[in-house]
Amino acid sequence: MTDYHLVIDGATAEESWIYLDDDAALSDAPSIISLTRLKDQAYALAERSAPLGVILRADGLGKTDLGEDVRELAPFIDRLALIAIHFPAYRNGRGYSAARVLREEFNFTGQLRATGDVLYDQWAMMNRCGINAFELAADIDLATFQTALGELSGAYQPAADQNRGALWARGK
Amino acid sequence: MYRYDEFDHKLVADRVNQFRGQVERRVSGALSEDQFKPLRLMNGVYLQLHAYMLRVAIPYGTLRSEQMRMLAHIARKYDRGYGHFTTRQNIQYNWPALDEIPDLLDELACVEMHAIQTSGNCIRNVTSDQYAGAIEGEAEDPRIVSEIIRQWSTFHPEFTYLPRKFKIAVTAHKNDRAAIKLHDIGIVVKQNDAGEIGYEVHVGGGQGRTPFVAKKMTDFVPKAKLLAYLEAVMRVYNMLGRRDNSYKARIKILVHETGEEEMRRMVEEEFAKIDASEMLTVPQEEIDRISAYFAPPAFETLPADSQAFSQAQADDADFARFVRANVVAHKQDGYAIVNISLKPIGGVPGDATDAQMDVIADLAERFSHDEVRVTHEQNLVLPHVKLDDVKTVYDALAAHELATANLGLISDQIACPGLDYCNLANARSIPLAQEISERFSDLDRQYDIGELKIKISGCINACGHHHVGHIGILGVDKKGTEFYQISLGGAADENAAIGQITGRAFTEEDIVDAIETVVTTYTDLRADGERFIDTYNRVGMAPFKERLYD
Amino acid sequence: MAQHAAKRARFQAVTANRLSDGEVVYFSPDNRWVEAFAMAEVADGAEAAETLLARAMPADFEAHVLEPYLFEVLEDGQAYKPASVRETIRAAGPTVRLDLGKQAEAKAE
Repeated sequence: MTDYHLVIDGATAEESWIYLDDDAALSDAPSIISLTRLKDQAYALAERSAPLGVILRADGLGKTDLGEDVRELAPFIDRLALIAIHFPAYRNGRGYSAARVLREEFNFTGQLRATGDVLYDQWAMMNRCGINAFELAADIDLATFQTALGELSGAYQPAADQNRGALWARGK
Repeated sequence: MYRYDEFDHKLVADRVNQFRGQVERRVSGALSEDQFKPLRLMNGVYLQLHAYMLRVAIPYGTLRSEQMRMLAHIARKYDRGYGHFTTRQNIQYNWPALDEIPDLLDELACVEMHAIQTSGNCIRNVTSDQYAGAIEGEAEDPRIVSEIIRQWSTFHPEFTYLPRKFKIAVTAHKNDRAAIKLHDIGIVVKQNDAGEIGYEVHVGGGQGRTPFVAKKMTDFVPKAKLLAYLEAVMRVYNMLGRRDNSYKARIKILVHETGEEEMRRMVEEEFAKIDASEMLTVPQEEIDRISAYFAPPAFETLPADSQAFSQAQADDADFARFVRANVVAHKQDGYAIVNISLKPIGGVPGDATDAQMDVIADLAERFSHDEVRVTHEQNLVLPHVKLDDVKTVYDALAAHELATANLGLISDQIACPGLDYCNLANARSIPLAQEISERFSDLDRQYDIGELKIKISGCINACGHHHVGHIGILGVDKKGTEFYQISLGGAADENAAIGQITGRAFTEEDIVDAIETVVTTYTDLRADGERFIDTYNRVGMAPFKERLYD
Repeated sequence: MAQHAAKRARFQAVTANRLSDGEVVYFSPDNRWVEAFAMAEVADGAEAAETLLARAMPADFEAHVLEPYLFEVLEDGQAYKPASVRETIRAAGPTVRLDLGKQAEAKAE
């Protein structure tokens, strides 16, 4: 059981992944590990056939509080089925750039998930940046999620979604 | 001027409905204040000392008369009969009730206006030169690219939760009236040797606790590549800007801590990646569509001189003074740019009543091709007035206390709302501006003193631009009492500079005398034709300091 | 920006802004939020001040007001007055617009 309502591609979904602490043993279950572990155990992980995911953390690293660099994932992209982007506070928008880099620069096609402080008024922005899986508070229903995504009917600029943006779409 | 199409209308309407829902969720308790605050801020709603404050965007400072009339209507219906024009070409209302703001925004949307992104840690209202399209010597009307930036930055999904607020200003003239070097990004529209239009981009300017003049990041970005370049700057900032300390979160600190060269390298690297997809290359048809809105109005072919205009100056000394101070040459023969000072002697800098706004709207409709501009120095402009009509316009302005002939003079001060309204302020700004204006009320003395820009902030956030005043005044709080610190030598134009503090602060009782001491020191020391800033740059701080403190 | 009174302040009161319209309000002896400073409860001493602030912030306070905080007041004859310029202005209105704010309403009555 999870304590969140998982929505993937606009539909409620069963959680099939587990978050693993760095000292917990790897099993055959689809597992989400830290970037540190991914880098440290790259060779051992290559032997493993079960789906692999990683969480990109955005808090707590030094005085500048930057978090992990999304581009460190570059060598591992092909082996990852899931990348979870951690939003330590909804006001910390660093993860939006990480999401777009993953989708548009690395062409990552797996599950891109928002975890942490993932609130109503941010879902649409996250969605446009290429995040397709959301860990919502347990009491939020799917209809609420869909309402939030549809509050703004269009966009001016392209991002990681299909919306080309009005500046490009007009007259087309 | 740009007109909304169906898409623009729909999106603004969506936003108002969204905010209506957010207000309802806040009032019902579904949203905590902590959750609601960034949402209301992104719709321009602050909580100030006495009430909420709403900041409405006036993109690149351009208004049609019907929009100005709407601003007057809002002041009457939802506020207390006035509004405050700010240094970022916005208007602020000081007394709206939270639960009425969605209705207010609905009315604004009817005239293609909004309060979107006028606050919050996002890309704010794009500002520009108030003389755009009216002054000789522009590479291109800077409002064209300003509008493209406005659209690109509106609801940008990646850049709505930045480390801190982000301000962009654009000019296309060698004389910078938009203070572009004091913005997070400052853009100069220019023409290269091949005759192509492109953009010089400055990054990392800003005021506040740690003021910096922006660094030139690139000399020339081709027209079609600008958004890719801006997105590159923004992405570097969003990924690397500090989030642990709000005083160190602006891009100016990133540029300073990273170093100009390294910043440039990172931006170029990001730019190459983003540009490779050509996703942000705006189609030529869309650039043409937007440009067409800023085509010059249908000017008449007129002689360069107007007999009526000359005669009126000869007949009316007050009008002659108004022309001397407030009227600027237009690029079109037979036309003039008319500045409206919102700095009457003893008045509140930047404030206009609903009645005054209506008068200005009428004048714009009849005499200025329907346009009004807002300046970063908190004044208004009628940009396209026939020389033959200037006297008529002047008479109407004078009848409503709008014809103070003090543009660029000592009483034309910038002042933030200060402790009379603002929740962040440490000291009052407006009463000080009023006292200085009264002290130097004699216009002949003001002309004798010449160009002198006094800028007053009530706290270190520097909304009153004190760092870049020729004379800057900063209000500080010492155990609940107001004190004022003076700085000298700042400038916000193409020679942007940060002023130097003279020394210890002055009490409320002594500050106006101290300003007078600074002014007389200048008039005693100036050489022929020197403005205050020229004299200061020549003689330095020492003589001023000596007279202030010995 | 809530500005907290100096630790050595003897008399303090609690103020906030009303959620619906932002109006400055004070916490009164009968546990209500009132618009007039004269109706505010004044606590004598640090301990009484903390108790007063706690009373002003029940679990649902956010449904009515924003960011309640303590501020210093001084004895002024038989009454009290705010100690700082900031709180004096909040209690009265803008000093540059005497026709607006609480000062104007007081005059009109």
